[in-house]
Amino acid sequence: MPKSQKSAELIIAIKEIVFQNEERGKRAAELVIANKELVFQNKEKEKRAAELIIANKELAFQNEEKEKRASELIVANKELVFQNREKEKRAAELIIANKELAFQNEEKEKRASELIVANKELVFQNREKEKRAAELVIANKELLAFTYVSSHDLQEPLRKIQTFVSIILAKEHANLTDKGKFNFDRIQSAAATMQQLIEDLLAFSRISTTDRKFEKIDLHIVIEAVRNELKETIESKKAIFEAFNLSTVNIIHFQFRQLMYNLISNALKFSRADVQSHIMISSRVVKGHIVDTEKLSPEKEYSHITVRDNGIGFEPHFSQRIFEVFQKLHGKQEYPGTGIGLAIVKKIVENHNGIITASSELGQGACFDIYIPAN
Amino acid sequence: MTEIQKMSSKHLNLLLADDDFDDCFIFKEALEGHPGPINITEVHDGEQLMALLTKETYELPHVLFIDLNMPRKNGFECLAEIKLNSRLRQIPVIIYSTSFEHEMVNQLYKNGAQFYIRKPSRFQELQLVIQLALKHIAKADISQPTRDEFVLAVQN
Repeated sequence: MPKSQKSAELIIAIKEIVFQNEERGKRAAELVIANKELVFQNKEKEKRAAELIIANKELAFQNEEKEKRASELIVANKELVFQNREKEKRAAELIIANKELAFQNEEKEKRASELIVANKELVFQNREKEKRAAELVIANKELLAFTYVSSHDLQEPLRKIQTFVSIILAKEHANLTDKGKFNFDRIQSAAATMQQLIEDLLAFSRISTTDRKFEKIDLHIVIEAVRNELKETIESKKAIFEAFNLSTVNIIHFQFRQLMYNLISNALKFSRADVQSHIMISSRVVKGHIVDTEKLSPEKEYSHITVRDNGIGFEPHFSQRIFEVFQKLHGKQEYPGTGIGLAIVKKIVENHNGIITASSELGQGACFDIYIPAN
Repeated sequence: MTEIQKMSSKHLNLLLADDDFDDCFIFKEALEGHPGPINITEVHDGEQLMALLTKETYELPHVLFIDLNMPRKNGFECLAEIKLNSRLRQIPVIIYSTSFEHEMVNQLYKNGAQFYIRKPSRFQELQLVIQLALKHIAKADISQPTRDEFVLAVQN
């Protein structure tokens, strides 16, 4: 081998070595870079790994939270299902209740319209009643005026009959036969009865027409006045007259005096022939409830006045009827009278807004109980 | 001489106002037995009565008997007019009526009537009560009696 060839080969070999060296240097630099790159990438990977660890932890936490919420949602869901059922139940109940209300509403409307009709009827009836009441007031006034006028004017001719008969009896006495005298006596007696009847009727109508002025008066004064008026009868009958516990009463004076007069004179009239007549009058204040009646107010105070006698009395079943006008229990021959006295008594008690009751047994005396408001 | 005899010696002028002819007849009949001369004049309503009393020439009566219920002018009105008239005021007025109303009697007493007589149904009673009234009048005492003595009556 030539030297040249060998040098060339050496050059080439050197060149090759230089090139290889350069390549190695290049590669070393590249490796350094690659190394640096790897270090960087390594660091990046570590960073990401750390980040992943954090993210992982975060996910684990989020997962737990989600599980918690899921279980909470399950509970809430169950609650909602329950509530839903309840609501459905209630809705069904409400539908029923609503139907019921609608029905009731219809009923109410029906009743309301019925009430309107009934109301109209009542208004009409009320008007009719007012009309009738007004008519009755007028009729009553007319009747009283008629009673008054007729009894007043009836007295006139009656008195004349009596007067002319007494003129005949006085002046023609000698000319009359016994039968004639007897017949004239009968005329006189009938006329006297009629006169009494008219006077009593007049008193009865006067009780309704005169003014009602209430005064507080000691019952003693009233009783004494009546006792004085009946003095002669009391004396002739030798009657025992007792009055006790007499209190002050709220009365229409002259009416109440008439009432006591009628009761006491009745007690004297209906006395027993075989027993000394005994009349007892007493009073006290009581509450309305002690009497079994709707006519007295239970809690109000009443003056209770009792007139009791030991006379002939009457059968209990007459205790109402004796207060009616013209009701008599005896013939005129036994006990004269018009049958108006106790009707007047009852009317006077009614004028005092009170009640009167009578109780008796035949032959056992009679008792009259009066209750009038104390104030 | 007693008062009544004194009056008996002169004429008693009596004026009766009553619209009822029967009652006028009965009244005169009752006075038939009156001791002494009596002159009864009758009028039959209140207007006639007042016309007669206010006539200048008319000699006034000693006593007036006036019925309450009369046509045209009643006894109540007549009494009021008489008591308002100074010339007539002195005449005693006796109210003579069938009715007996407590209130009315009170009012008549207040208005100055002398007596109130309720026409009795017995003739003898009527005679007695008229004589009783005339006896009071004869005493020439025209002052009013007390209220208790105002209504004249005689016991049966």
